[in-house]
Amino acid sequence: MIFAGLPLAQLALLFGAAALGVGVLYLLKLRRRVVVVPFSLLWQRILRDKETTTLFARLKRVLSLLLQLALLALLVLALGDPRPSESLLQGRTMVVLVDASASMQATDVRPTRLAAARDEVKKIVEGLGAADEMLVAQMDAMVTPLGPMTADTVALERQIEAIRPTDARADFPRALRFATDVLRGSARPEIVVVSDGALGPAEDSSGGVHLGDAKLSYLKIGKEGNNVGITEFSVRRYPLDKSRYEVMLEITNTGPAVEDVELQLLGDGALVDLTKLRLKPAERLPRFYPQLSGASRTLEAKIARVDGTHDELAVDDHAFALLPERRRAKVLVVTEGDTYLEAALLLDEYLDVTDVAPAAYVDAVGRGGWDVVIFDRVTPAQPPPTNALYLDPTGPGSPVKVGRELKAPGFDKIDRKHPALRFLALDDVNVSVGHALVPENGDKVLGASDGGASPILVAGTRGGHRFLAMGFDVRDSDLPLRPAWPLFVIDTIGWFVDEDAQYISSYRTGDVWRVPVSPGADRALLKLPDGSVQSTAVHEGRAVMLGEQAGFYDLTTTSGGPSAMPDGSIHTSFAANMLDASESAITPRAQLVVDGLPAAPVVSRGAGVRRNIWVILLLAAAALTALEWATYHRRVTV
Amino acid sequence: MRLTDVLGRRGARRAALPQDEELFDDDFQRKLEYLALVSRRVFSGRLRAERRTKKSGSGVEFADHRDYQPGDDFRSLDWNVYQRFEKLLVRLYEEEEDLAIYFILDASSSMQFGGPSSGTSTRESGGRKMAYAKKVVAALAYVALANLDRVSIVTTNDRVMDRMPETRGKARIFKALRFLRDVRPEGVTDLEDAMKMFVAQNKRRGLAVLVSDLYDPRGFERGINVLRYNKFDPFVVHVVDAAEARPKLRGDVLVYDCETGEEREVTVTAKVLERYAQAYAEHLAEVERFCATRQVQYAAADVAIPFEELILRVLRRGGFLR
Repeated sequence: MIFAGLPLAQLALLFGAAALGVGVLYLLKLRRRVVVVPFSLLWQRILRDKETTTLFARLKRVLSLLLQLALLALLVLALGDPRPSESLLQGRTMVVLVDASASMQATDVRPTRLAAARDEVKKIVEGLGAADEMLVAQMDAMVTPLGPMTADTVALERQIEAIRPTDARADFPRALRFATDVLRGSARPEIVVVSDGALGPAEDSSGGVHLGDAKLSYLKIGKEGNNVGITEFSVRRYPLDKSRYEVMLEITNTGPAVEDVELQLLGDGALVDLTKLRLKPAERLPRFYPQLSGASRTLEAKIARVDGTHDELAVDDHAFALLPERRRAKVLVVTEGDTYLEAALLLDEYLDVTDVAPAAYVDAVGRGGWDVVIFDRVTPAQPPPTNALYLDPTGPGSPVKVGRELKAPGFDKIDRKHPALRFLALDDVNVSVGHALVPENGDKVLGASDGGASPILVAGTRGGHRFLAMGFDVRDSDLPLRPAWPLFVIDTIGWFVDEDAQYISSYRTGDVWRVPVSPGADRALLKLPDGSVQSTAVHEGRAVMLGEQAGFYDLTTTSGGPSAMPDGSIHTSFAANMLDASESAITPRAQLVVDGLPAAPVVSRGAGVRRNIWVILLLAAAALTALEWATYHRRVTV
Repeated sequence: MRLTDVLGRRGARRAALPQDEELFDDDFQRKLEYLALVSRRVFSGRLRAERRTKKSGSGVEFADHRDYQPGDDFRSLDWNVYQRFEKLLVRLYEEEEDLAIYFILDASSSMQFGGPSSGTSTRESGGRKMAYAKKVVAALAYVALANLDRVSIVTTNDRVMDRMPETRGKARIFKALRFLRDVRPEGVTDLEDAMKMFVAQNKRRGLAVLVSDLYDPRGFERGINVLRYNKFDPFVVHVVDAAEARPKLRGDVLVYDCETGEEREVTVTAKVLERYAQAYAEHLAEVERFCATRQVQYAAADVAIPFEELILRVLRRGGFLR
């Protein structure tokens, strides 16, 4: 025990002086009211009875004095601000990483694992030493410190209450790197991981995490692991029959028992399919639903136990997906007549194609409302106010400068990842003659001849609209005779109207999502599945955000565009799912190994170590005063 | 017969001192008349001065036998009885004599204690027991005078303070009233010393009516025993103020004895008050028990009951007059 207030010698002096004062006051006789009586002998008789217990009476007076002295001692001690000698020890610097991943929503520990984790962290806070400092961080797809490094227990408890569950997996390596960075150079560094242990290896792309001097402690949360979850869910429309779609999903039993589940597939909220499945322990059961119809927009998969009970984790029992919008793209074809092009455009029934002669182009484009304009061997003086495909452009109106003539160019270099060229075989296309295109900064060369030196297929953006220019006439090549030609045309239109085959039916929680927004959008508002709204950054035509909730999202951007609302805003929707088998495996891990070493159990110093003892002393003094008051008025200590 | 009939209005008016007009007012005097009448009716047929004492000697009417004790006159031995039973018995004769009645009024400070008496002057305020005692003495004295007994009034504390010499005849009542009016309570009660002094001053034995609250620190028994041992016939009128049993006290007080000046620190609680009331009741019971066991006539005079009611009770007790 040490005294942070007055030193012990002063306290002793103070107590001595005050005790002397109390003693003197105690010796002073109570000035009593004089009452005249006719016969004091009667009073003597009853007092004689009391005198038989004189010893007890004296004891009572001594007891009263002792009470006063005890009260005085408590007050004097409180002035000394006593603290446990443990506070002299060098304090620990702790970073507590609280797992807020989806598996922490498991209900094997009531009410949830996360709530239990909060309670455990509060206990750690209660057991902090006087010189200990702590930082609480929420660990999910990212790591979020909930406050500064502090010794303030009230602030820490407030931070603990701020921890919220997410539907994402935890990025354990990132959290560990954050903790080691925070603790670098600190005294007695310690990382406490409060989790069910479903964190994966402590490694990322830059290798394993090294903790350095920091001690790693692990506080296990959770008891059981009975869970069946949807671990894959994907849906897509058939490219050439957009009224039909196919669904692929996977259900995994991560628990140790056989599970009978009922799988529901819902399209736009209506039941599309219902299947009963039996899954053995650790079984992954993929399901494929081809040639489905009936849903125009949303698809949901739900699983539930046949016996009506619920497994321990609900978040992976429900998956969401959105089908790409079936919207007729309005295509204006400016051509003198091209059978190959017309034939290719006929393949997609969701295209509204209008052919115009070059002379009628100005009037036609002036009517507006086009999603795509295809210039077949025609180049307008002014580019159209929409996306445009240029086939063999010429002249100054071309979006890219047309260079020298190329004899028998070929696709020596192809950007196979571009949506317009994905899955196309262009390597052996024979072209008799073409022109090299000169891309500007920011343009992307999709195909080039001469070993890549002469671009013949360039994509880019002009005036906020996409374009793609092909440096040869398809009729001077055997491209129209190949399956790649109609696919190229349709994929290009799809890229223009964001209906590429790379459409993502649902995003994964825990990833950074880059959701395409309308060109020119500068800000976006995101409505989350829980109803809250947040603004998101827009970068290079995509709204960028870290998604941590499963469900349907609504994204609203403000800019002009073909699908703009009357108020100028454009709404897009997308879905997000956890779909993580490792996160669905909720069996708590008994041990946590990082950097080749197992984590130690958490050591608490016991509650009350950092409590202010002087407060307790004052409370005790108040209680003693109340006791003295009661005993005095009940004549116990008089 | 009323007082005014005896002394005339002026005499009666003169008899009452100005300051104590209220104590012995006309109403009081009417009550005395009533008591005298009642006493006469109760004891009708009795002759004057017919109070008899069982004494061996001068009487002519045989009363009783008692065992012979050394020193007895041989002439009073009943030889006939001795012949028959071989026991020495002394013949007792009833002797006729005037009865001497002594009213011994305790005039110690404690008699002044207590709440104010209704019908008392300011000077008597706070002396409810004393006022009551004076009335009782006055009434009994009047009855006795009316019965032609010799009446003497003595006031005491730890000694005999004052005395009204023996007198007889109804007309002397005003002398008694005047004497009583002038009594002022003071001093410490010591019945033993006072009674010894009284006995020494009064050789003629008779009825000794002790009117007192019996608050004697040395014990009330001693004083009564002095009377008994000196062949007086004690009659105890115990003046009691029930309010004294439940004093209105609370908290830490210093109890001061109005007579002895003795002080005691007391913390008065409900429990203490209860024990005090118990002690007070025990004190009363102790007095009554003592008188009963010693065959001493006893009457508790509670100041709360009308004094005439007490007088009748005393008269009916039978030991006061015969």
